Amino acid sequence: MSAATSLPLAGLLPLVVLLPLGIAAALLAVSHWLPARFIELSALATSLSVAAACARLAQAGLTGPIVQWMGGWAPAASGRSGVVLGVSFAADPTSAALAAFAALLFALAFVFAWGEFDDTHGHFHVLMLLFLAALAGFCLTQDLFNLFVWFELMSVAAFALTAYPLGKSSLEGALNFTITNALGSFLMLAGIGLLYARTGTLDMATMGRMVMHLSGDPVVAAGFCMIAAALLTKGAIVPFHLWLSDAHTVAPAAVSVTFSGAMVSVALFGLAKLLAKVFLGNAQLAHLSQEFLAPLGIATAILGALMTWAQRHLKRLLAFSTISHMGVVVLAIATLRPAGLAGLLVYIIGHGLVKGALFMLAGMLLALRASGDEIILYRRGRGLGMAAPAMLLAALLFCNVPWGLLHRGEDLIAAADADATTRLVLSLATALTGAAILRAALRIFFGCSGVPGVERAAPSEPEHEKAQRPLWVMQLSCWILLGLAVLPGGSLVAFARAAAQQLLPGTLSAAALSGESSSIAALLFVVAVLAAALLRVRPVRPLMRAVARGEGRLFGALQGLHSGLVGDYVVWMLLGLAALIVCAQLLG
Amino acid sequence: MSLALGVLPWLVSAWLFAVGLYGIVRSRHYVHLIACLAVCQSATYVLLLSIGFRWHAGPPIFYDHPPGSAAVDPVMQALVLTDIVVGAAVSALLLAIALQVHKRRGSVDPQSLRPLRPNR
Amino acid sequence: MSPGLRSLLLLLALALLAPFAWHVAKALPQFGSPTAAYGATVNALGPPLRHVSNMVAAVNFDFRALDTLGEESMLFCAVTGAVVLLRGTRGEGTNRRAGLIPGRAVLARSDAQVLLCRIACTLTMLFGLYMVLHGTVTPGGGFQGGVIIASAVLLLYLAEGYGPWRRLIRSPLLDVLESLGVLLFVGAGAAPLLSGHAAMSNLMPLGHFRDLFSGGVMLVTNFAVGLAVAAGFVMLLLEFLEETRALQSDSLPDEAQR
Repeated sequence: MSAATSLPLAGLLPLVVLLPLGIAAALLAVSHWLPARFIELSALATSLSVAAACARLAQAGLTGPIVQWMGGWAPAASGRSGVVLGVSFAADPTSAALAAFAALLFALAFVFAWGEFDDTHGHFHVLMLLFLAALAGFCLTQDLFNLFVWFELMSVAAFALTAYPLGKSSLEGALNFTITNALGSFLMLAGIGLLYARTGTLDMATMGRMVMHLSGDPVVAAGFCMIAAALLTKGAIVPFHLWLSDAHTVAPAAVSVTFSGAMVSVALFGLAKLLAKVFLGNAQLAHLSQEFLAPLGIATAILGALMTWAQRHLKRLLAFSTISHMGVVVLAIATLRPAGLAGLLVYIIGHGLVKGALFMLAGMLLALRASGDEIILYRRGRGLGMAAPAMLLAALLFCNVPWGLLHRGEDLIAAADADATTRLVLSLATALTGAAILRAALRIFFGCSGVPGVERAAPSEPEHEKAQRPLWVMQLSCWILLGLAVLPGGSLVAFARAAAQQLLPGTLSAAALSGESSSIAALLFVVAVLAAALLRVRPVRPLMRAVARGEGRLFGALQGLHSGLVGDYVVWMLLGLAALIVCAQLLG
Repeated sequence: MSLALGVLPWLVSAWLFAVGLYGIVRSRHYVHLIACLAVCQSATYVLLLSIGFRWHAGPPIFYDHPPGSAAVDPVMQALVLTDIVVGAAVSALLLAIALQVHKRRGSVDPQSLRPLRPNR
Repeated sequence: MSPGLRSLLLLLALALLAPFAWHVAKALPQFGSPTAAYGATVNALGPPLRHVSNMVAAVNFDFRALDTLGEESMLFCAVTGAVVLLRGTRGEGTNRRAGLIPGRAVLARSDAQVLLCRIACTLTMLFGLYMVLHGTVTPGGGFQGGVIIASAVLLLYLAEGYGPWRRLIRSPLLDVLESLGVLLFVGAGAAPLLSGHAAMSNLMPLGHFRDLFSGGVMLVTNFAVGLAVAAGFVMLLLEFLEETRALQSDSLPDEAQR
C-alpha cells in the first residue's frame, strides 16, 4: 500500500503493538479452517516484523526519542499546563532494543516449537502473540497505568501458557505463579492509585517533575514500594522469587525460553525505566534504590547459584540460574548510572540468548529422550547431533569466560559499580550456575559423573514433550541463539552506551573495568567445584560423612524454603514488602 | 471525627487487603483461596474509588445534569473498570486450573499440593 | 513451613506494615477532597471536545483508548487460556448430551422455570443491547452491556435446556465473534495511521451532545468491546457447562508414554 510506505516513523510505534494483537485475533477466528502450518508461519512472520520494526525504531531513536500520543492527545491538547490527557508511546533506544530482542526470541521460540502444538487450533500461537504484544507495549509505554495494563496482559498470557501442558505439576505450578503474580499486580495498582492521588497525573514524565519535590512524602514512598514489589515479583528477586522455579519447570520449553529470556528481564527493565524517568529526582527513593536494591541483588545471585547447584531437573536448574542472573541485573539497576544501564541492556540480551539456547536443549532432551532429569538421562544424550557442544558452549559462557555478550555486559556493570569484592562474589555466583550446567552436560552427553551429591534429593518428575518433531529445526534455533551470544558485540556495546545516556543523565567512563582477576578466580572455582562433583564417591570415613550430612542439611533447608506451597510464597512476599517499606522510612 | 472520616476508606482498603491475605495463607480449599484473592482485589477497588470521590458531587455522566456541574473523578472509575476486567480474567483462569487440578489430583487443598515432589 | 509458623510470620509482616498503612492514610488527601487535576480536566473538556455525556466512556474509549484495547485483549487472552485448559482433557465435541452422574436424579425443567426464563432472557438481552448502544450517553458501555448479554444467554440455557442450547451456541461462531470484536478495535485504532494522524484518533463525525450517535469512533470501539465481551463470556459459560461431560483420556505429559 502506498500509504503504508510513507508512514512517518512515529506511526510504527502503535503498529508494533496493534499488529500482534490483530493477527492473534485473526488467527483465532480462522483457526478452525486453516492448516497448522499457516498459523505457525503467520506467527513467525508477525514476530519477525515486530523485531524489525523495533530495531528500526531503536536505531532511529538514537538521535532523539520518537514519540506518538495516542488519539492525538498531546499535552498541548488539554489547553491547561501540567495536565496530560492522553497516553503516549516513546521509542527511546534502550526500550526499543529490548522489545526487538524479545520479538526475536519469540520468533526463534516459534521455530523451536514447530510442529509441537498442532492439535490445539492455534491457541498456543494466539497466546504467544498476545504475550509478545504485551511485552512490546510494556517496553514502549510512557504512561503508568498503560504500563500496568500491558503488565497484566503479559501476566495473564503467561499464566495460561504455563498451565498449557495440563500435567498435574503444570497446573499446580501455574496456580502458584498466578496467585503470587496476581497479588503483585494488586499491589502495583494500589501503588499507582496512591501516586495518582498525590501527583494528579499518570504520565511518567509529568509525574517525575512533580515527585522531585516530594522527597520524604510517605504516599509517594509507599506507592513506589508497592510498584517495586510487583516488578521485583515478576523479576524473580529474593524473597519474591519463589514462584519462578515452579513455573519454569512445568511450562513447555518454548515458553520457558520467552519467560527467562524476555519476561523476567523486561520486568526488571521496567523498574529501571521507572527509576530513571520518574523517581530519580526524589532523593529518598533514589537513596532507597541504591541502599536496598544492591544487597538484594547480591543475595539473589548467591541464593540462586546455590539452588542451581542443588537441582537435578534441567528446567528447574535453569530457572534458578535465571534467578541468579537477575540478581546481577538488579545490582546494575541499583547503581543508577548510565554505565549500569548500558550494562543492563547488554547483560539482558546476552543472558537471554544463552538461557534461551539452554531451554531449547532441555526441550530437545524432553522430546527425544523423554526425560528432563540429569540423573535419569545419564549417558543418554548420545545421538543428538550437535546438542553436546551446544550445551558445553552455553555453560562455558555462563562460567565467566572472557568472550561473548554476557561478559561484555558484566564489564559494563562492573564499571558502574566499581567494587572489586562485589564483582568477585557475582562472578563466583554466576560461575557456580555455569558449573551446574557443565555438570549436567558432562553427565548426560559424556557419561562422566561421580556419585550424585545434593542434587539427588532435589524435586523431579517424569515428563516428556511431543516427540515427532524434526531435530534439525530445534537445533537450528538453538545454534542461532548461541551464535548471536558469542559475537564480540562491539557495536551493541557502543549502541548501549549511547542509548543509556539518553535515559539516565551522567557521564560514561571511557573504558570498562577489566575483570581478568575475577575471571580467573571464577574459572578456577568452576574447575574445583566440577572436580569435587565428578570425583565424588560415597562417603565412608566419618569426616566425609559429617561433611555430606552438613551439606545435605544446608541444601535441604534451602529446598525446604522452596516448598511449593502458595501460602509460604505469599508470606515471603509480604515480608519482602515490609522490609522494603521499613527501609524506605528509615532512609527517608 | 472528621479525621476519622477522612481516613476511613483508606483503612477499610488496608483491612480488606489484610483479611484477604490472611485467608489466602490459611486457606484449605482452592476455590476459597480464589475468593480471598477477590477480597484482596476489592481492597484496590475501594482505594481507587475513594481517591476519586468528591463530596457533594454527582456521577461524571452529564445527561441529566448540565456539563460543568460538580462530578467525581472519571479517570479513577475507568481504572476500576479495567481492574474489574482483570479480576474477571484472573478468576476465570484460576477456576479453570482449580477444576483441572481437582480432576487430576482429586484434592484442591493448597496446603497439600505442590509441583514436583522432592525425592528422598 | 508448618502452618503455625506461616501464620506467625504473616502476622509479623502485617504488624510491620500496619503503622505505615496508618501513616500513609493520614498523609493522603482527605477523603472527598481530591487534588488531582486530571479528572477535573476530563470532566471540563469532555463534553465540548467530544460531544459525549458519559465521561467514563470518554476516558475509556477516547482519551485512554489504548488501555481499553489492552484490557479487551486481556479478556480475550483469559478466555482463550480458559478454553485451552478446560478443553484439553476432554477434547472438542458438539451435540452430545449432558453428562449424567450416577446416583443423581435428573429433574425435568418445570414449566414455571421455562416461562420465566424465556421472558427474562429476552428482556435481559434487550437491556444488554440498550446498555451497549447507549454507552457514550448514559451509564453503561461495552463491558457492562456485554456481560449482561452473556447473562441473557445463560438464561436461555435455563429456559431451553442443554440440547437445543448447544445446537444454537457453537464455539467456532463464538471464536469468530470474539475475534471480530478485537479486530474491529484494532482496525479503528490503526485506521487513522493511514491518513497520517496518530493511532486511536477520533476522526469520525462527532454527532450532537446527548444524542445516541455521538462520540465518533467511540461508538465503533464501544460496540467492538461489547461484542468481544459478550462472546468471550458466553464462551466461558460454554466451556464450564461442557465440563459436565465425561472425562476422556488424552496425551498428557505425566501419563503413560505412547
